[in-house]
Amino acid sequence: MSEHGPVDTLKAIGKRITEAIGEGRFPVVDLPNRATDNIEFDSKLNQFVLGSSRVKRDSSNLKHIRSFAQLTWVAYFAKQLLESDRTSSLRDLYYSSEAFGVRFNDQAESDRIITDLECLTGQPREAFGIFPEERSSIFGSVKLNYTVPGYEGREVDLTLSPDGFPIGRALMTAEPVETDAEMILAVESGGMFSRLIETKAWKRYQAILVQLGGQPPRSTRALMRRLHEAFGLPVFLFTDGDPWGMHIAQVVKSGSANAAHILGLTIPSANWIGVTPEDIREYSLPSEPMASADLKRLDELARDIRYEGPDWQNHIAEFRSLSRKAEQQAFSRYGMDFVVDTYLPDKLE
Amino acid sequence: MTVLNQSVEGFRSISPAEFFYRNRQMAGFGNPTQSVYSAVRELVENSLDACEDAQRIPQIRIAIDNQSSDILSIKVADNGSGLPYQHVPEAFGRVLYGSKYDQKQKRGTFGLGVTMAVLYGQITTDSSVVVHTQNSSGPGRVYSLLIDVEENMPIIESEREQVRSDDGTTVTIKLRGDLKRARERVVEYIRLTTIASPHAVIELDFGGSEMIKVGGWSKRVPEVPIPSKPHPRSADLEILRRLITKSPSKKLHDFLVDSFQQVGSRTASRFLKFLGLDSSARIESLSRADISRLSTSLQRFDGFGRPDSRCLSPVGEEAFLLSVRSLFSPSWILYSKQKPSEWQGNPFFAEGVIALGSKFPNVDTPTLYRFTNKVPLLYDANDDVMTKIMRRLNWKRYGFSGPLPVALFMHFGSTKVPYRAAGKQSLAHMIEIETAVTGLIRTLGRALRKQAGRRDQSRRDARKMREFSEMFNIIAKYGPALAEAEPPSSTAHMVKTLFEVNTDV
Repeated sequence: MSEHGPVDTLKAIGKRITEAIGEGRFPVVDLPNRATDNIEFDSKLNQFVLGSSRVKRDSSNLKHIRSFAQLTWVAYFAKQLLESDRTSSLRDLYYSSEAFGVRFNDQAESDRIITDLECLTGQPREAFGIFPEERSSIFGSVKLNYTVPGYEGREVDLTLSPDGFPIGRALMTAEPVETDAEMILAVESGGMFSRLIETKAWKRYQAILVQLGGQPPRSTRALMRRLHEAFGLPVFLFTDGDPWGMHIAQVVKSGSANAAHILGLTIPSANWIGVTPEDIREYSLPSEPMASADLKRLDELARDIRYEGPDWQNHIAEFRSLSRKAEQQAFSRYGMDFVVDTYLPDKLE
Repeated sequence: MTVLNQSVEGFRSISPAEFFYRNRQMAGFGNPTQSVYSAVRELVENSLDACEDAQRIPQIRIAIDNQSSDILSIKVADNGSGLPYQHVPEAFGRVLYGSKYDQKQKRGTFGLGVTMAVLYGQITTDSSVVVHTQNSSGPGRVYSLLIDVEENMPIIESEREQVRSDDGTTVTIKLRGDLKRARERVVEYIRLTTIASPHAVIELDFGGSEMIKVGGWSKRVPEVPIPSKPHPRSADLEILRRLITKSPSKKLHDFLVDSFQQVGSRTASRFLKFLGLDSSARIESLSRADISRLSTSLQRFDGFGRPDSRCLSPVGEEAFLLSVRSLFSPSWILYSKQKPSEWQGNPFFAEGVIALGSKFPNVDTPTLYRFTNKVPLLYDANDDVMTKIMRRLNWKRYGFSGPLPVALFMHFGSTKVPYRAAGKQSLAHMIEIETAVTGLIRTLGRALRKQAGRRDQSRRDARKMREFSEMFNIIAKYGPALAEAEPPSSTAHMVKTLFEVNTDV
């Protein structure tokens, strides 16, 4: 289905439902199974993918009828969004449902149904104009052409706003035109992102800067991957020095189980430059002792197939023996520009 | 000392009439509201008994007129067999005179109720009772009677021949009463009367302002219970003395065999031998102590068979269900009865109906309708043993997870009903009765629990179908909208194929 445009994909779903009811049959949809035991790691793609198992959602089944109805409505809502060139946040969609007489118990339920739609169509929700609340930003010497209606063909230069550009539907669907940059540098915190713009570090390293802001939205990952592929730019990831920061980098690299049904988001060649446990030791960074949740997370990651490589296992072992963590900002103890002047050049060599 | 002197001086015998007038609340004439109800009730009960004896479908007409603000005239006319003329003055003018001493189930007991109504009317309005009766022996007669309270004797004001259109009796009593407040009770009483007497047709006329006609649910006249001799275990001193007075010259052995049921010649001999009394002694020769010992022993001796229950008259499953259905149109109903049993030698039965329906109040325990000997009981419910047992049970165990519109109709019948007071409004506590009533209510309760389960299930099913239908409508609306196609005209038929909802439960 994904070879057609998203509107056609949605329309096809509606057609199948309508035909079934027209013939007096209860419509059935067939979805890839998202259960944990059907998620496997594809080492060739270096990402999680769904196995071959599928589930039937049957509208004659009392247990399925509710989610079937919700899915039908979400598909309808998405089509409305696309046809009117609008976007909606996950939260907006949840609240909109009431006006249509469709009930969700909570936003978690509507989010889950949106994931069902992704599974059914094989396309990310962003393709249907549905975005998470949080937006990350991008800045750098790159030009793209908008494709969104009203802006078709207009060029945008991502150095024009000193605050960076929020990554929404327009940038996600924009066509890369040209760049002077040599790399993509993605950082976890907004503070670090600003620092790198203000100190003109982006110029110095010839880097496109991306602010991830925790686990990045898929639109951000999709844009990074597109720039990575279009210009052949290497990707470097700079996060906090704790299991959570490390895992942000890992998801950009290898994807998450949650998005196993969507292909084309991972950047297997991306590099995590830090803050590594070795950095904490080497640079004597101000650090905090790890909480029990941090240690538990380390145990989980140690068993995770994405961390099989010796480098990752090494990082985990180091974190364990250190039992301390540090934020990106910890470098500030050596002055505001230490990161830009010393640490990053060391790492990016 | 003065107190004692006074009471000694004041000590004198009083007639039963005077006694009951002084204690009229005991007989149900304590206030102007209850008095109206009690007068109607006594007259209607007599009429129903008269028609039952005559094996006719009772056609009873009640007319209650306001003569002035608080003086009423109550007239009850029946199509019974009429009264024997020679008994009329005493039946209405003498307290504790009556024909109902034989051992069978009857509504009225003995000669107290109707004379209390007459007495109450006489005292409050200074007017006589008018009785117009006609039996098969000839043209009817009209009596105008008063009671000589001190002597407990009837005073015949007038007596004359007057033809009545048919056999039957019409009684008119004037009394002081509060019709406005009694009205609802009277209507309720009449309606419930037709539950236990489904064949009776009763018309109630409130001075032409309102006509109510109820009953006639069944066309079948219930069988007349067969009178039986008293059971020896019911032989208290009073009964024994009365029996002795009837045939004083009999030999003790013959007296026992002739006077009581379940006493044959062998049983009588065994009993007398056990007691050490001479079986050929004439009973008039027995001393007071002998009679007392005889009474006690008759009540305790365990060699007598169970009392005969053919003298009882239950409403019966078919008629009971029919009348409750006719009056309350329940959505579910069930009848059950306990095997006849006895209390102190008096045979009794307990039967009941439990029903679920929108005409009953939606409350946490069943609404209880009490009946004794086919008479509905409307007052003193809190004192009644049936109420107490009903309240003692944990109704959550019988399907009351929340309020339910359930009613329980309990009918107790016996040759002798142990009322708590002469007003005949509540059943007294007797261990045998308690056991039977408890067993009956539990049986009905268990049936209710099952039904409540079915009802909950069917409500759940209906709710499921409603929810499903709502959801399927969303699919049927947005699916076509997504396809840019016309929505289907209706999907109800599709939804129906998935459900089998029984909406009648």
